[in-house]
Amino acid sequence: MSAQETPVKRINHGESPILSFENVSKRYGTLQALDQVTLTVNRGEVVCLIGPSGSGKSTALRCANALETLDSGRVLFEGKEVRADDNRNARQVRRRMGMVFQNFELFPHLTVLKNVTIGLTTVLKLDEAAADKRALTLLAKVGLSDKASAHAANLSGGQQQRVAIARALAMEPALMLFDEPTSALDPETIGEVLSVMKALADEGMTMVVVTHEMDFARRVGNWVVVFDKGRVIEQGPPRQIFEAATVPRTREFLNHLGWHGESKIEPAREPKQ
Amino acid sequence: MAIDLSPFANSWPFLLKAVALTVFISAMSMLLGFVLGVVVGALRTYGGRFFDIVLGFYVDTMRSIPLLVILIWIYFAFPLVIGASVDVTSAAIVGLGLHLGAYMAETIRAGLTSVRRGQMAAALALGMSHTQAIRTIILPQALIRMLPSLGSLFVFAIKDSAIASVIAVPELLRQTQVVAGNTYRPFELYTAAMIVYFLLCFPVARGVDWIYRRVAHLGSS
Amino acid sequence: MTFDWSVIWTNLPRFAEGAWMTVWLAVVTMALAIPGGLILAFLRMSPFKVVSFAAATFVEFFRATPLILQIYWAYYVLPAYFDMQFSQLTTAILGLTCNISSFNSETFRAGILSIRKGQWNAGKAIGMSDVQIMWHIVLPQAVMRVLPALATTWVSLFKDTSLVSIISVSDLSYVSLKIRSETYRILEVLTAMAVIYWLMGYPQAKIVDWIHRHYKVVE
Ligand SMILES: Nc1ncnc2c1ncn2[C@@H]1O[C@H](COP(=O)(O)OP(=O)(O)OP(=O)(O)O)[C@@H](O)[C@H]1O
Ligand SMILES: [Mg+2]
Repeated sequence: MSAQETPVKRINHGESPILSFENVSKRYGTLQALDQVTLTVNRGEVVCLIGPSGSGKSTALRCANALETLDSGRVLFEGKEVRADDNRNARQVRRRMGMVFQNFELFPHLTVLKNVTIGLTTVLKLDEAAADKRALTLLAKVGLSDKASAHAANLSGGQQQRVAIARALAMEPALMLFDEPTSALDPETIGEVLSVMKALADEGMTMVVVTHEMDFARRVGNWVVVFDKGRVIEQGPPRQIFEAATVPRTREFLNHLGWHGESKIEPAREPKQ
Repeated sequence: MAIDLSPFANSWPFLLKAVALTVFISAMSMLLGFVLGVVVGALRTYGGRFFDIVLGFYVDTMRSIPLLVILIWIYFAFPLVIGASVDVTSAAIVGLGLHLGAYMAETIRAGLTSVRRGQMAAALALGMSHTQAIRTIILPQALIRMLPSLGSLFVFAIKDSAIASVIAVPELLRQTQVVAGNTYRPFELYTAAMIVYFLLCFPVARGVDWIYRRVAHLGSS
Repeated sequence: MTFDWSVIWTNLPRFAEGAWMTVWLAVVTMALAIPGGLILAFLRMSPFKVVSFAAATFVEFFRATPLILQIYWAYYVLPAYFDMQFSQLTTAILGLTCNISSFNSETFRAGILSIRKGQWNAGKAIGMSDVQIMWHIVLPQAVMRVLPALATTWVSLFKDTSLVSIISVSDLSYVSLKIRSETYRILEVLTAMAVIYWLMGYPQAKIVDWIHRHYKVVE
């Protein structure tokens, strides 16, 4: 237990964080979706947001990606304030951030390849050939080279989500946001998506991941933030959150999930201690 | 009852020209209606309250006034407002297009709003502008989903072009009346016109259905 | 250019009569075209190929040709060649009813077909006859689905009644065009005609929207 008493150094601690929330509040009508949220994400970190349904995790991601305006507080990305009400600023921010959604949100009228290139051709104004080249590299990376000309409707959920990841990566983002990327998947295909995400983390990609996969948060995450009713109730390294949570509500939530510690990540299965 | 086809022997070039005009008027009003429909449908969906109310008034007005009345007003009353006469074919195309455009707008609006909100978020998350997102992501899906309804509107465009006969546009129905009046063979002429309209409309209806069956999966996000 | 709107006020009773005829035509046509549409729908779903083909041909034909031409055809061809003498009003109602029945039949057919097979099986499982299942289970559900489409058809019917003016049935448009040629107040009379249609049609369009919102089928 003594190891946990020494203060934990976060990755790139002391450098300016890539993303930070400063007392961010957001209301929907009378519902306080985010309440004075403060958190930081350093370059190279994998930060996992966990918490019960409706606690504001998705809202936090949407605020980060300039998809929601704030009621108070500030979100800073790469040192500049994120402003959803300023179109130019919002697009600038989104261009540098990749986002992966729970329901994949592939574009059904486009082929897999076009799904990956559409951002490149319309936003980055790459020519078709260059866009295709980059897209094919990324499809290979997520293991879907053979599906380039397929349509979303003909892919499994896991495959669709991997295309969505490739689509986001194609923009060469500085930060990747994942909103429950495996919640809509069949149990058999969850592993393939988590493996892609782990590989990405291993390459040093900075990631914010909203997830109910506690195993992923514990093994891949460097920092875990616990949300409840719009508030951050606890944050710390995975070891602390999962084994020595100080806030009773965190323990309650983890127990409720019935977290059993079994790995769904295919490669690099670590021996249990 | 003896069927007499001699009127066609003399008048077929005259009637064929009328068929061509029917096709032309239908196609032009479809085009005008479609453009209006996309613009009005998109502005009502994404353009805020002002556009929604003003354009909603246009749409509901077109939905409440008969096409016959619109055509007659544009051709006979409108020239008195502007103090200049209008070309009858243009009047027909504008009237038909304005009328069709309202229905197209409703259809396209329904299509746009039926596309899941996440699609817009995903497009914006790539850094697209709203306009880019609507044009490249939402609108194509909306059009695919609404293809069957758009198809029946195209059929309506062809059928409604016959109403232009009341302002004496020399299209198929009008010229059929002329020949029927000259030859006293209304049965043969009106029946032939009926068949021609059917041959124009039915393939459009079936063709659009055929296309839809092949592309429906591209519109289901 | 001077306008004389007094012609509208002096002719108001005639406009009102025309408007009344327009409403009457729409009501009578719909009252006939609902049973007409149901019959056509059932005929088209008949197991006898000849019957279903005949019904399908009738429906597709009326849906794929202009109503205005159907009215002319009924007016010029039926009396001269089939020795059927109808008044203009009867001809108008006949034409409108055949046309609207065809559209209604497709509405009803879609409504009936949209009720899942499971509903039939559930009915059979508790020992109901086909007629009982149709009457107690399928039709009530189908009604909820067809109502919005019927409402839409109603509004187009209301507008389409204007086409009977071409065979001199004195509906609102016929009366208006007549007043125009008597008074030569073209702009005033034609505008009044459009406004009266608008006053009658606009609330109907709004009610249709409400029905569509209210009966939206959530699968
Ligand atoms: N656009 C909106 N309008 C109104 N309320 C909203 C909106 N978006 C989210 N909410 C509400 O805000 C609260 C927080 O929502 P959020 O989606 O951030 O929760 P979450 O933590 O992501 O939950 P989940 O695990 O279910 O995804 C919820 O109560 C939700 O109902
Ligand atoms: Mg969420």
